[in-house]
Amino acid sequence: MLIEVAQFLTILATGLFFLCFLFSNIFNLNDLNIINLISRIYSHSFFLFLSSFLIYVWMAISDNFSVLYIAQHSNTNLPVFYKISSIWSAHEGSMYLWIIFLSLWGAIYNFFTKNNEPLKARTIGIISITTVGFLLFLLLTSNPFETILPLPPENGADINPVLQDPLLAIHPPALYLGYVGFVIAFGQALAFLIEGDSSINWEKQVRFWSIISWSFLTLGITLGSWWAYYELGWGGYWFWDPVENVALMPWLAATAFIHSLSASSKSSILRIWTILLSILVFSLSLFGAFIVRSGIIDSVHSFANDPERGLYLLAFIGLLVMTSLVLFSYRFKILVSNKRIISLSKESFISINNILFGTLIFSTMLGVIYPLIYEYIYDQKISVGAPFYNAIYVPITLLACLFLFSSIESKWQKKSIITFFSNPSNASIIFSLLITFIAFKLYSISKLWTLASLFVGSLIIFRYILVIYSYVFHKKFVNIYSVLAHLGLGLLIISIALNNDFSSERALNIKINEAEMYKNHEITFDNLQLVNGPNYESVRADFIIEDQNGNKFFLNPEKRKYFVRGQITTETAIHASILKDVYLTIGDQLDDGSWIVNVQFNYFIRWIWFSAALMTISGLFLARSINRAKQ
Amino acid sequence: MTVFLRLLILSISLAFFYFFYLYINEDKYYPGASFQTSNMPLFELEDLYSNEVIRNFDSEEAYLINVWASWCITCRVEHGFLMKLSSQGIPIMGLNYKDDRNDAINWINKFGDPYNQIIYDPKGELALDMGVTGAPETFLIKGERIIAHYRGEVNDMIWGDVFTPIIKKENIFNAN
Repeated sequence: MLIEVAQFLTILATGLFFLCFLFSNIFNLNDLNIINLISRIYSHSFFLFLSSFLIYVWMAISDNFSVLYIAQHSNTNLPVFYKISSIWSAHEGSMYLWIIFLSLWGAIYNFFTKNNEPLKARTIGIISITTVGFLLFLLLTSNPFETILPLPPENGADINPVLQDPLLAIHPPALYLGYVGFVIAFGQALAFLIEGDSSINWEKQVRFWSIISWSFLTLGITLGSWWAYYELGWGGYWFWDPVENVALMPWLAATAFIHSLSASSKSSILRIWTILLSILVFSLSLFGAFIVRSGIIDSVHSFANDPERGLYLLAFIGLLVMTSLVLFSYRFKILVSNKRIISLSKESFISINNILFGTLIFSTMLGVIYPLIYEYIYDQKISVGAPFYNAIYVPITLLACLFLFSSIESKWQKKSIITFFSNPSNASIIFSLLITFIAFKLYSISKLWTLASLFVGSLIIFRYILVIYSYVFHKKFVNIYSVLAHLGLGLLIISIALNNDFSSERALNIKINEAEMYKNHEITFDNLQLVNGPNYESVRADFIIEDQNGNKFFLNPEKRKYFVRGQITTETAIHASILKDVYLTIGDQLDDGSWIVNVQFNYFIRWIWFSAALMTISGLFLARSINRAKQ
Repeated sequence: MTVFLRLLILSISLAFFYFFYLYINEDKYYPGASFQTSNMPLFELEDLYSNEVIRNFDSEEAYLINVWASWCITCRVEHGFLMKLSSQGIPIMGLNYKDDRNDAINWINKFGDPYNQIIYDPKGELALDMGVTGAPETFLIKGERIIAHYRGEVNDMIWGDVFTPIIKKENIFNAN
């Protein structure tokens, strides 16, 4: 019964959202009453839709297995936390969550934006029609409200074991919040184009929303990478999996977008870039949804499905994107600024940054769709892997960082005077050369790209430390959160380079009570025991690791067998320290009684996540400071 | 210049979407379907009911192998369609996958038996050799060779789009 109520509320909300879109297009939006009306309809339909979701959450918590989806993905043995997160563990429910977030951003925007602000009603209209498109997709092709009556099963089929993890329970929500948050920028950009009044400064209004969405996107990607590191047992943090790539593309576009925004919100310069990027960010988010949901690409992330879904999404996304691009080219004239970009001004560096980011996005897109084109033409499967992406990302990222370094002293709309040889820059260059030289001599790092990354990373870090110095001691104005985010970038580059250079792994065969040496570490296989978990049984191995200084620690990798699905998972054991992780997984037992034990030393891996966390947190604080400045 | 730029952006995007449209409409595109042929692996597993060891399926002509389990909810959804296929005289062999014997027998007693024969594979050994990743999955076997493999629920639509073409081509199950 409850499920029908939830479904009915969703259908009702769909109708009301459509009404918002309709009203924003047929009525005269100079009338404040009309805007009030649209704003209220939106809040009401959001409230109805949210209620339907809360009912659904309640049904998941109370083990209502008459709902097909809940029966397929939950189980009475699960803790409440996983009963809730099982909602987004597969296609239908995660789509449901995605739309909840989409309309939530709209609701927050609606609530915090005054009705007399230009573009509000149109923006709400665009957000509404996007929501309607996805709601119809949900209701027509991926209905989470389907029931399994009259004989509901006594118990559910359980959540996929690799998803039974606290991080994975929050990774999709964070990522979705970031993805769909850009609907506000997209909506405002389209509203601006429809309005056609170039005097409206939509960029200023949208900065807050974009930076906060960017932060969530960064967080979501980082959590996903962290989860993959300890759960999948491969030891890496990034695999250039097609679905990781489709999440990375919106992030790149969003990064370029928020930089262009800061230029266009000061003067209308770079407006073509800003509008195009705002359309691109959201289109790439939608493209990601299409790739994942249509099942075109095999990946850890893909959902089992039918081709109808792919076709529907393609049609909807195609329509939305093509309409916005036609609108963009129709209004092209009002976007052209009469000001020229002065060379060596901040705007000029941001344009270069846009071009470099565009190159990265284009190459990533090529890596994702080239195998499909090839398969279509030659009927053979090929895959594009890490070497391709590394070859492109490393030089372009380093180049972009060099431009970032030179842009630090540049000014808006002014030519800066030979930035390279001013004092702080000089000091940074000398310092970075020194660091690189020490790394080369003392730590015998000899790979060219590692040294180059080390140099560029320290260049950025040291230069920004000097900026902070003058901020603290000379009260020179800087945006401290932006500085911290860029410090995060410098740190990220160094950590990735060092991780790549130092990390190593080895598969050992060890018998119980025997020991093996690997890189000055003695690894003793102490014991093997059977352990029973709430919904699995497990073989747990006890290892004692002793390093060259005599420090001992214990590691317990496991192999688990989950009762309900019979699935076997490998649980890694990780000993984390500041510099390196010791990472153990166990494989199969061999005929002579020994076990395959995979040992990895992963260096600087914590630093990678620290840098990403720094970027995320700085982003959130930056958004807050922008919001304060606005009031 | 600007006209050129605008047309370029529009036509690239259009080409992009058109390509995906073509790709999706290509008949080989069905995410769960695979038509790579391979030999049916050898096996030695017990019958679900009789504990008797089975080494090959008792079928003169082509047959389906359906991978199922009592814990698999999608198998229940699929079950009705399998009953229909079975009533049309299509031989279906059940591969009971990573399941408990009693649970499986109860399940069949409760919902009905569309299978000519069910083998019990508690560790998923044969399933592993056949490349099964979960349940339900369905294989089409002709002359001890796997000629089609579908991951996921088989229903009227999947049967019509994925299985019917190859059944007609191979002229099996008295296809007309």
